[in-house]
Amino acid sequence: MSDESAEDRRRISRRSLLAGAAGAAAAVGVGGALVGCENTTQPVAVSSGGGGRGILGDPTAGGPVDASGIPLSRRDYPVTMPRVGDHVPSRRPPERGGELRIYNYADYLNPAVIKAFGKQEGVTVTVTTFQTLDEAFSKLSAGRLRTDVIFTTPDQLSRLVGRHLVQPLNYELLPNLQRNVWPELHNPFYDVGPRYTVPYVTYTTGIGWRNDKLGFDPSKLDQPWDAFWRATPYRGRVAILDDSREGPGLALMRRGVTDLNTEDPALLRRALEDLRDLDARVRVKVSISDYETLPTGRTWLHESWSGDLISAVLGYLPSGTPADVLSYWFDPAGAPIFNDCICVAADAEKPVLAHRFLNHLLDTRVAYANFAGFVGYQPPLNAIDADVLLRRGIVPPTLRQAIVTREAYANGNAYLTLSATGQQLWDRTWAAFRNG
Amino acid sequence: MRRGALTWRLLAIPGVAWLAAFFLVAFYAIVSVGFGNVTTLYQPVPHWNPLDWNVGYVWVAVKAVLPGGQTWDAFLRTVIYVVVAVALSLAIGFPVAWYTARHAGRWRGVLLVALVLPFWISYLMRMFAWTNLLATDGYATKALHALSIDSLLSSVGLLDGRDWLGGQHVAVVMALVYGYVPYLILPLFVALDRIDDRVIEAARDLGASPAGAFWRVVVPLARTGTLAGIVLIALPMFGDYYTPDLISGSPNTSMLGNAINGYVQGGPDKALGAALTLVASAFLLVLMFSYLRVLRADQREAQRA
Repeated sequence: MSDESAEDRRRISRRSLLAGAAGAAAAVGVGGALVGCENTTQPVAVSSGGGGRGILGDPTAGGPVDASGIPLSRRDYPVTMPRVGDHVPSRRPPERGGELRIYNYADYLNPAVIKAFGKQEGVTVTVTTFQTLDEAFSKLSAGRLRTDVIFTTPDQLSRLVGRHLVQPLNYELLPNLQRNVWPELHNPFYDVGPRYTVPYVTYTTGIGWRNDKLGFDPSKLDQPWDAFWRATPYRGRVAILDDSREGPGLALMRRGVTDLNTEDPALLRRALEDLRDLDARVRVKVSISDYETLPTGRTWLHESWSGDLISAVLGYLPSGTPADVLSYWFDPAGAPIFNDCICVAADAEKPVLAHRFLNHLLDTRVAYANFAGFVGYQPPLNAIDADVLLRRGIVPPTLRQAIVTREAYANGNAYLTLSATGQQLWDRTWAAFRNG
Repeated sequence: MRRGALTWRLLAIPGVAWLAAFFLVAFYAIVSVGFGNVTTLYQPVPHWNPLDWNVGYVWVAVKAVLPGGQTWDAFLRTVIYVVVAVALSLAIGFPVAWYTARHAGRWRGVLLVALVLPFWISYLMRMFAWTNLLATDGYATKALHALSIDSLLSSVGLLDGRDWLGGQHVAVVMALVYGYVPYLILPLFVALDRIDDRVIEAARDLGASPAGAFWRVVVPLARTGTLAGIVLIALPMFGDYYTPDLISGSPNTSMLGNAINGYVQGGPDKALGAALTLVASAFLLVLMFSYLRVLRADQREAQRA
């Protein structure tokens, strides 16, 4: 990471500035941002975070920046990532033999899809898994893990780019992006160009529940998110997502807060109080196993990701439990609806093959097999009409809202990158709640 | 140097090297992170050189486990869980070990196999089994209901509702006892098995009642083994986090291990997680030292005898 000379860094910096000026969005050159591990903050005893104008103090950064000094992208504030390094040339032949390494969550790719790709390209495809994106970033940035393909989320992108962990993509090798993907994602606000990503799957955050167990219908409440606080008869059967954004975010949405990327300490303090109140009322669990605990009845009311409900139907229903006991509610006016994305590692040994893998996943038939055959999370492809799952009876009508629509996506809310101090605020709020 | 001593020293080298590589170095890495710093991206930067140590995080960790600190509740809960679970394990384990060692007769072999059997199944798998056994329609739930144990615990306020897996302190303590009691019974068995029958007979001949002989002869003779068993189960219980995760999954039952796990898994406070580990280790070291002191005293007494 630090083997680039200062000269190179300046050059990259200038070039990405020019590119940004030519583009529609605010581009900021932070080419050689974080060199080594020397940019340490104060010890927390005299904590000062790392927000402000970013560690490079780049004067072109108008708005707030994240810890890498890259502006925080928002739907109304698209950001072009600085270009670090060159993409692979279009004519380079794909690498042959050996293995293509993928870094992903567990159970987030259909093994059949991986196998088919390996056979087609004559490589062994190996998947290494991580538990959390933070763990993934730690291992990648410490150089402890070498991989070709990285699955991640848009809010992670700036630090992956800031740390030079991903390489710019050559979109000539990714024709399926333009051909198959929803137009909303051809040039996403979090990666204008695009430069580093292709989308993977979409999801919403909503409420999953067992309509055969719960004595009320959360979707019928004036404020459906309040269902969790009202579920006092179901103590011990209520769970929220174990996630430092989704947990406090639930409490914020219940209070009608629409800015899910707020960094207002007062709002998060109230969210913490509300979560503690929730715990006192229903002895809430924290878990991301909704795809398993809802169908097996270990939980009856769960803050859920849409894909987990479909995944529950695809693979986790115990025999004798019909699919339509599961219900899902999603608020098209304000609830999180977003997508994951895929990148190619900066030090990939098989960058061309990695491009081909990305393109493979955006092939309509492959993407459908990955979605309906295993993962349950819906790819944003034009030809994949998720309603077909309803018509074929694979997904029951009670889960109609677990299907992500283009319209909802275009207007949706999302948890996005925060400034360093903001991220710390959310993480510490969640830790304070989790410690009980 | 005597030849025998040299041979043993050489034979010990691989083991010592192994321990040094996989325990001391790993532990020193935690020390270096705990006394280290973090980058602006909140990645920990270990300070390997003690001269560069930054006490900021350790200081925060010490404050965190003091009353009013951010992990005080979890710390207190952990101490209570461990004390109760160890006491229950002793209450369950001692009679089993005593019976197996002294009264099992021809069942002794079978019982010993039964005591070793849990070691064949991973701790995690045994905990997973509990999530099924304690489910609403699980066998353990039904049995506990048939024996009215659930209503008994409810009436004294130890069980909230009938849902064992719904974030109950009692269930977590029960699971800890279940998980660790085999590790207590084996050293207890060895200690009790070694007691010479004639010593007890002598006590009886000299006029001690059966209870008197037990308290004044058996218990002191088994003290070292009992303490070894207690240390063996109390230390891992103190750092446990997956038992409450699997059996409860609720912040109500978070232990110190859960807090450390949370800090280390993600977020800005990985160095604090390492520092908390050090604070917990220091706390356990105090327990460990008192154990070693008792052990030394017992050994000296044995030598004198």
